[in-house]
Amino acid sequence: MFRRNFLFSWLLCFATLTLSPLPALAQKSYDLREMTPEIKQAIENRKARYAELQQLKIQTVVGENNQGLAELLKSSPEARGVIEGENRDRRVIYQAIVDQNGLGNQGMAKVQAVFAEVQRGKARPGELIQLPSGEWVQKT
Amino acid sequence: MRVKTFFPFLFLLVPVLAGCTVKAVGDPNRPITIKADITIDIRGLKKTAVGIEDMVAEGTSPNV
Repeated sequence: MFRRNFLFSWLLCFATLTLSPLPALAQKSYDLREMTPEIKQAIENRKARYAELQQLKIQTVVGENNQGLAELLKSSPEARGVIEGENRDRRVIYQAIVDQNGLGNQGMAKVQAVFAEVQRGKARPGELIQLPSGEWVQKT
Repeated sequence: MRVKTFFPFLFLLVPVLAGCTVKAVGDPNRPITIKADITIDIRGLKKTAVGIEDMVAEGTSPNV
């Protein structure tokens, strides 16, 4: 009986010390917690220009840079208008994620880097993407 | 408390107390500025980014 109590108390200690950091290790979620009219409009604008932007990417007029923004790679006044609008809307979304999740001063750079990574992953073969190093490559 | 259960209790108590004790030092009239580094979970952020980009690409409406 005494031995069992002794073992149990040690087991309790071990469990407390090893399991206590678990909440800190859990994956945190970052959401657009409040869909303001501005954010909603930015998403709707992006959906509306999605096909046009994809066409410009296929033509390699536009590429995805390493800051989560579309970048004009060939001279085209029409494409310039498209990417200016696209980047304006992307910045609204990025800033909302930073603000609504309290990501602080360094948050914007992180959010942009993560979105850039997602854009690189979603790019189709032949499209131009900028690597974290700054080098532009054609997606294979 | 039995001697044999005292040591495990102490073993647990020491790190808990050490981890939770906040020592106030310095002038109480001078506010202390703490520069906090926020750790961002990249996996969580990536999940959000994928969700938003999928929404844009698939043309689905954002949930309010």
